[in-house]
Amino acid sequence: MPRTQELNLNMGPQHPSTHGVFRCVITPDGETVTRVENHIGYLHRGIEKIAESKTYPQFIPYTDRMDYLCSMVYNQGYVETIEKMLGIEVPERAEYIRVIMAELSRIASHLVMVATMAIDLAGTSNWMYCFREREKILDLFEMTCGSRMTFSYMRIGGVAEDLPEEFIPACRKFINEFPEKMNEVHELLTGNEIFQARTKGIGILPPDMAVAYGVTGPNLRASGVPYDVRKNQPYSIYDRFDFKLPVRFNGDCFDRYLLRFDEMEQSCRIIEQALDSLPEGEIKGKVPKMIKIPPGEIYHQVESSKGALGFFLVSDGSNKPYRLHVRGPSFVNMGVFPELAKGWKIQDVISILASLDPVLGEVDR
Amino acid sequence: MYGEGLIKGLRVTLKHFFGPHLTQYYPEERPILPPRFHGFLAFDPENCIVCGLCQTACPNRVISLKSEKGGEDGKKRILTEYVLDFRYCMFCGLCIEACPKGCLKFTHEFEKATYHPDEISQVMFRKKVEE
Amino acid sequence: MELLERLFVNIAGLARTLMAGWSLPNSIIELVVLILGIIAIIGLIIVDAIILVWLERKIAGFIQERPGPNRLGPAGVFQTIADTFKLLGKEDVIPRSADRWVFRLAPPLVFVPAIMLYAVIPFGKDMVPVDLNVGLFYCFSIASLGTMSFLMAGWGSHNKYSLLGGMRTVAQMISYEIPLLLSVLGVVMIVGSLNLSDIVAAQKNVWFIIIQPVAFIIYLIAATAELNRGPFDLPEGEQELVAGVYTEFSGMRWALFFLAEYTNMVATAAIAVTLFFGGWHGPWLPSWMWFFLKVYLIIFFFMVIKWTYPRIRVDHLMHFGWKFLIPLSLANLLLTGVGIEIYRFMRG
Repeated sequence: MPRTQELNLNMGPQHPSTHGVFRCVITPDGETVTRVENHIGYLHRGIEKIAESKTYPQFIPYTDRMDYLCSMVYNQGYVETIEKMLGIEVPERAEYIRVIMAELSRIASHLVMVATMAIDLAGTSNWMYCFREREKILDLFEMTCGSRMTFSYMRIGGVAEDLPEEFIPACRKFINEFPEKMNEVHELLTGNEIFQARTKGIGILPPDMAVAYGVTGPNLRASGVPYDVRKNQPYSIYDRFDFKLPVRFNGDCFDRYLLRFDEMEQSCRIIEQALDSLPEGEIKGKVPKMIKIPPGEIYHQVESSKGALGFFLVSDGSNKPYRLHVRGPSFVNMGVFPELAKGWKIQDVISILASLDPVLGEVDR
Repeated sequence: MYGEGLIKGLRVTLKHFFGPHLTQYYPEERPILPPRFHGFLAFDPENCIVCGLCQTACPNRVISLKSEKGGEDGKKRILTEYVLDFRYCMFCGLCIEACPKGCLKFTHEFEKATYHPDEISQVMFRKKVEE
Repeated sequence: MELLERLFVNIAGLARTLMAGWSLPNSIIELVVLILGIIAIIGLIIVDAIILVWLERKIAGFIQERPGPNRLGPAGVFQTIADTFKLLGKEDVIPRSADRWVFRLAPPLVFVPAIMLYAVIPFGKDMVPVDLNVGLFYCFSIASLGTMSFLMAGWGSHNKYSLLGGMRTVAQMISYEIPLLLSVLGVVMIVGSLNLSDIVAAQKNVWFIIIQPVAFIIYLIAATAELNRGPFDLPEGEQELVAGVYTEFSGMRWALFFLAEYTNMVATAAIAVTLFFGGWHGPWLPSWMWFFLKVYLIIFFFMVIKWTYPRIRVDHLMHFGWKFLIPLSLANLLLTGVGIEIYRFMRG
């Protein structure tokens, strides 16, 4: 007896363009997607639980391993949480170095987003051009802290090592050359009619829905909501820099993609200002040898490249956290994905996922 | 005009087609590593005072060391074994910062892949047993 | 030069005289010469595929600022041969729930029409394997057979991605056959013959790309879609369908699909050269060299396009084919007809 049956398509966990091990179950009607269901947890390592068995400095390397594309910001968020709780004064120079590193990290992360967006739409060559630029940033990181991916560069009360001599000219050179290189990407990809047809008006995220789902970061700002932790609740020394908050209003894939370019531009501005006004001095404040935090709790958030990143720390007075909860922006942003992808073509599901730019290491933790 | 972007894109790729290559021919051409590069760890047993700070600083219990009482007055602790289990090492450098005597440092060595996980842990120092 | 020009024709002639010396009947001589031709064409296809795979990887590498394969042989030319041996040595996996016969039949069935295309292509002066008077018609009818085997592969694999890929292939290839045919009709109207040798002969003085530029662009776009190459590589659709129809195929079965793709690519480029670029016409060099030079230039263009553009979406593809290319090719046809009439009127 012939009958019709719904087709359930498992996209992932092993799939070329689910950004790691994300799995979604798609119910397609022909090429149109009628239902999407998120399944996460394939990369779960229990990082929040690990934190409970590590002393405060020992956990710094683990923060790298959440969002491995933007780990400097994760380092920064974690150490600032502890500094805030202990009331440690961080030297000026260390703050400036942290900002430079965080913004470089943000550019690197956005470059990966642009690159993966290109490759998810089969624009393979553009992927290489973006990664070429990212490679230069990684060289800068390697020069400063010895690692290219998992830096563990920030320390409680400062940073691990001072900037090497050759860093500042190299960084300036990169910042100056960067807009021209991005122009190339614009010529190759942004202006491409096929690319525009595949992203413009696709996966529209209305502002009220974005707020309701707790979406933050570039994805929220592309929907027209001007919210950025750096502006709204300035942490570190972000209130000293003059930078704009890029906002776009369509909330489609194309806007989310373009907003990354705007952000990279602003990050370049911040780095330039920070390099200009970089003070001399210590890079590490006075920190007790054994860090013990008095009982209490604290929530501190910073702006990672994916959105608002929060650390909620509960201390019982020992040298290990009683509980550390991480509010991961990718994890929260992924929640809106089934809503966004519904009703589009299978190919659009891929471009919507790429435009949300999740990092599975952080979604699953 | 529709199609302008397509032609511009072709111009970019053709420009790169005739441009130089940026990749390294790795095994023949060695990478230039910055001085701070995090390669493998080197250990200098001469200066080690067996304080165990590196051991406590390590997040993953990579470092294990053994010591015995000895020296002139029989009170000084002498290192007998220092083993690094690189399976769990994250190359974060916390042990290096913890060491008061600067015994540990990163080298520029990075080609240490092995076929079996057992081969990767390294005995950095072991005291020779005198017959 | 004269020797080079007549090289292959002379070899065939030599074979004929040799066998005539053995006093064989004429029909057998012709059969043997035909078989020799087939062997030569299959050899050509395999050598071509090996070169093209290497070329594709090199071009992709150069565009992406890397050297591409560079380990085996000078500039990595033997890489493809090594890869072929690897593919030969791979385990032949057939999924348990696959439709075994359909699954097994699909790769050879993709390959066969690809070879058959070569029968009518004029590779050089007096170098047509079979000089059919409906050569062009034969080409397109054979080429459309390939669609079926893609559907077989998609259906037989019993894999959702393959099935989606197979469905996409059928929709895409059937829709783009129409503009493909309509675009070449302009050339046929001017020449007044479907014989490919006649079409080449008609381009002795002026190439048809000058008279029919729109038709050439339509042909190029539709041919890229027919070949399932980027930006129209939806059946494979690596980023959304994993590997589309090829998902479940491994080893030599998979390699046959790729051999067929490259074979088809050469054939399509050869037809483009024959129809629009004056076939083997050209000064100084031997005719067949000119022919292959032009073919490789068009293939180079195909490859650069693949590595430049993102993939088009499936419904945009359909819209583009039906709403833009077909009306455009019909208009081109109308204009050609009017042009021919005016030309005739002017000449009286």
